[in-house]
Amino acid sequence: MSSAVGSDALAGLGASEPKARRARFIDRGFRWVTLLIGVGLIALLIYMLVDLTAGGWRTFSRFGFGFFTGTTWNPVRGREQFGALPFIFGTLVTSLLAVLIAVPISVGLALFLNQVRGLLANPLAVFIDILAAIPSIVYGLWGLFVLKPFLDSTVEPFLIATVGKVPVIGVFFRGKAQGPDMLTAGVILAIMIVPIITAVSREVIAVVPRDLREAALALGATRWESVRVAVLPYARNGIVGATMLGLGRALGETIAVTMVIGNVPKIGWSLLQPGATIPSWIASSFREASSVGLHRSALLALAVTLVIWSLILALVSRILVRKTAEQLGEPGEDEPVSVARLGTAG
Amino acid sequence: MSAAGILQPVRGSRRIKDLAYRGALWCCVAIAMATLGVIAFYVVKRGISALSVNFFTKEPASQLHPEQGGIVQSFIGTGIIVGIASLIAIPLGLLTAVYLAEYGKGRLASAIRLTAQVLLSVPSIVAGAFIWTVVVVAFGNFSAFAGGLALVVLMWPIVARATEEVLLLVPQDLREGSLALGLPRWKTIMRVVVPAAGAGILTAVMLAVARALGETAPILLTALGNDFINTDPLKPTDAVPLRIFSDARTPVPGLHQIAWGGALVLLLAVLLLSIGARVLSVRQQKRLA
Amino acid sequence: MRASRVRAVTIAVVAAALVTTACSSKSSTSGGAGGVALTGAGATFPDPIYEQWFDDFQQVMPGAKINYQAIGSGGGVEQFTAQTVDFGASDAPLQSDEISALPGPYIEIPTVLGGVVIAYNVAGLKSGLKLDGETASKIFQGEITTWDDPAIAKLNPGVSLPSTPISVVHRSDESGTTFVFTSWLSSQSKDWESKVGADKAVNWPTGTGGDGNDGVAAAISQTDGSVGYLSYDFAVTSKLGIADIKAQDGSYITPSIESISKAGGGLTFPISPDTNILNSTTKGAYPISSTTYLLLYEQATDQAKAQTLFDFVTWALTTGQGTVQKLNYSPLPSDIASQALDALGKMTVNGQSLTASSAVTGGSTGSSSG
Repeated sequence: MSSAVGSDALAGLGASEPKARRARFIDRGFRWVTLLIGVGLIALLIYMLVDLTAGGWRTFSRFGFGFFTGTTWNPVRGREQFGALPFIFGTLVTSLLAVLIAVPISVGLALFLNQVRGLLANPLAVFIDILAAIPSIVYGLWGLFVLKPFLDSTVEPFLIATVGKVPVIGVFFRGKAQGPDMLTAGVILAIMIVPIITAVSREVIAVVPRDLREAALALGATRWESVRVAVLPYARNGIVGATMLGLGRALGETIAVTMVIGNVPKIGWSLLQPGATIPSWIASSFREASSVGLHRSALLALAVTLVIWSLILALVSRILVRKTAEQLGEPGEDEPVSVARLGTAG
Repeated sequence: MSAAGILQPVRGSRRIKDLAYRGALWCCVAIAMATLGVIAFYVVKRGISALSVNFFTKEPASQLHPEQGGIVQSFIGTGIIVGIASLIAIPLGLLTAVYLAEYGKGRLASAIRLTAQVLLSVPSIVAGAFIWTVVVVAFGNFSAFAGGLALVVLMWPIVARATEEVLLLVPQDLREGSLALGLPRWKTIMRVVVPAAGAGILTAVMLAVARALGETAPILLTALGNDFINTDPLKPTDAVPLRIFSDARTPVPGLHQIAWGGALVLLLAVLLLSIGARVLSVRQQKRLA
Repeated sequence: MRASRVRAVTIAVVAAALVTTACSSKSSTSGGAGGVALTGAGATFPDPIYEQWFDDFQQVMPGAKINYQAIGSGGGVEQFTAQTVDFGASDAPLQSDEISALPGPYIEIPTVLGGVVIAYNVAGLKSGLKLDGETASKIFQGEITTWDDPAIAKLNPGVSLPSTPISVVHRSDESGTTFVFTSWLSSQSKDWESKVGADKAVNWPTGTGGDGNDGVAAAISQTDGSVGYLSYDFAVTSKLGIADIKAQDGSYITPSIESISKAGGGLTFPISPDTNILNSTTKGAYPISSTTYLLLYEQATDQAKAQTLFDFVTWALTTGQGTVQKLNYSPLPSDIASQALDALGKMTVNGQSLTASSAVTGGSTGSSSG
């Protein structure tokens, strides 16, 4: 659809040549404006990356790759040492825990929503959208004053007394139940990422061709068998993509996590000890980090890490969703937008 | 699975597995609904006692009698910060969407979409840190304006992606008809396509605003907060999520209650916008279908 | 929604925003006799008394709306250096590298005295557990792990100690309270000095972090067996157990407004990076006492703001000292307060020196001694 059609039509309708030229000029100008703005978005991301990297440069140049492998975070004048590993560890542990809890529930919800029509489905879908819309600060407040006391007084002592005694796995559940810990953070994160994993899984399951499932059912398969044979194999990649999107959200949640995780830069086996994730640590330290010395710079270096991770995750999940689409013969397209996918405020 | 096996009546382990499957699905539903129920219950129960005339009209009182004060400056501040962010992000997002939907077919468009996806998934604290280094230090001031800019980093991609979706749904015949009638391309887009997608664009805007209302991390680093009403966008300003965050971390139970009150109001506002957006989008889809 | 309507709304909103900006920026510079709005940030330790002061000061000068955000001493120094606030507040004196990062000459004013206490929440232990520097250092390094450890028992003969495990709580944010506490530990234990050191934020060998004094108090009260360090006023109002600390002469001092103010005599001007009133040799003085500072720039440029700031600090050093005890702080000794006022006198705006407004000096006799 070229603009030539419009202006030629103008000429055809008897408009004068200068007018047509002017119209073409405005048309092209408009196109350029929108293009520049679009490019502006890319420029914004690049600027952000460059600016943060510049801020973190002193830290990167001092510690090099050791920044990512160092386990000590010491801002004391004269003993400065900044290693990000405790936060990378905390981020991975809480996010993996969140994914472990959230994926089964989300896939279950997605399957349920797919097979049920009518009265129950819509309210459930709305409820999931509501869960998606709840801001992180509200989750944090609820997590701090409701979930944490509950876990501390009920679930965690139970876990310590039961699983904690089992060899090997038990090491994850040792220690004090009281106080902030990574388990609470993981549970909160799980609740927060269920909506997005559900939403994407639901779409992925919905595009699986119905004929296969119906054929299986017609042959007498049970509901479970039809899903196992005709749905899950095709949806598998997409569900992994959904999981990656959920993982991405979990990695980035800041406020809810910082309110329940304790913010201590330590690495350990037990989920019942406090820890810190990269975003939660930045949130708790940034305002007072001194820019005399490396502290502020180290935090900006952490921020850069987050941006790069998000970039990698976005690429990977995009590739996975495309692969699913190709598999099913649909033209590869970007993920459609929904409330759940736009994420929770952080 | 042999054909003979499937055609037999469902018995034994097959039945059990199927029942287990159905049970598991219902469990998931129950868990999801229960979780939402518990959250809603506590937010309402603890928040509602904080809501009073003082809450909405006064600034914070001394820590000894927090119930005599309120957080009016937070509501005003949120309005200013989100207002500034919207003023900037909505036109930018809209025009980006126009490019993606109407003009962009190639690699550049793909790159823009990927950028939007990345910006959406980057934790908002990063946007806050970025704007801190660029704006707060440059101006020498924490400000509502800096807070607004930090939110633009998030709202721009949301508006862009959501609006692009809606624009793509506008039937091609509308465009072709308009062009055939002699309207230049840009007028076709702005006078025909965009209005046709009107409700959908409103949806996108509402979603972006709903997201911005609840953001705490970017404002934490850029607006500082204020115990007083401030209408100057170049000065430190309070915001509801920020106030909730700082009140929650004090040891004063009265301030905790104020935090719950703020959370309740915030949640209601965000839900109204999100649900309103959903309703609108359903109606829009029906219209274009 | 029609595009033209969108445009009209946009223009209206932009216009409204511009008008609001114009109006409000006009009002913020028109201060006059009533004072203007100021922004400060920093220490959490004096936050309660500062908030009370700001409230009371607003009765004296109604236009003086002082917005103080307690983000921690480290943040106070940082924002003061970046000049994103009108004044900073820090529990630790400026260190030499921080001083060299400042864009101009500064004034450091002590405002009030306080103490850092070791607070604990142990079922079966009342307030008044005796501790000394060495034992405290071992507890906070995680070397002493239960409350009935022999080292603690030795200092507390006759007290029945439970076998509860010790949970250490420390600050997770940068803070002057940490600086004071770790400075004291460093002065008392060579082990602490070499392994951890003293700063606004250190690499804690053990324990959980709490955000701010309030976060630490909350964390201690939530778990049986917890111990942490707090500013005195927070500890008193949180009803936690408070330890008696061994002084240089061997006696055990209970932190109190009196014992803390006894340490105040050791404050000397000008304030230097090493200034502290720890381990005071005055009899009965609490060993972990400290003061807190306001940070101002000597050469101000905004007339109205400088006047308000000058007035506030003058008021705080005179009339304000009369209210500190109500909130469990100790006032500055009167000779220290007058030296502080002299230091404040160095402040100039656009080359001109300042004098306190009549609202501050007239009619207020200002009880300043402790």
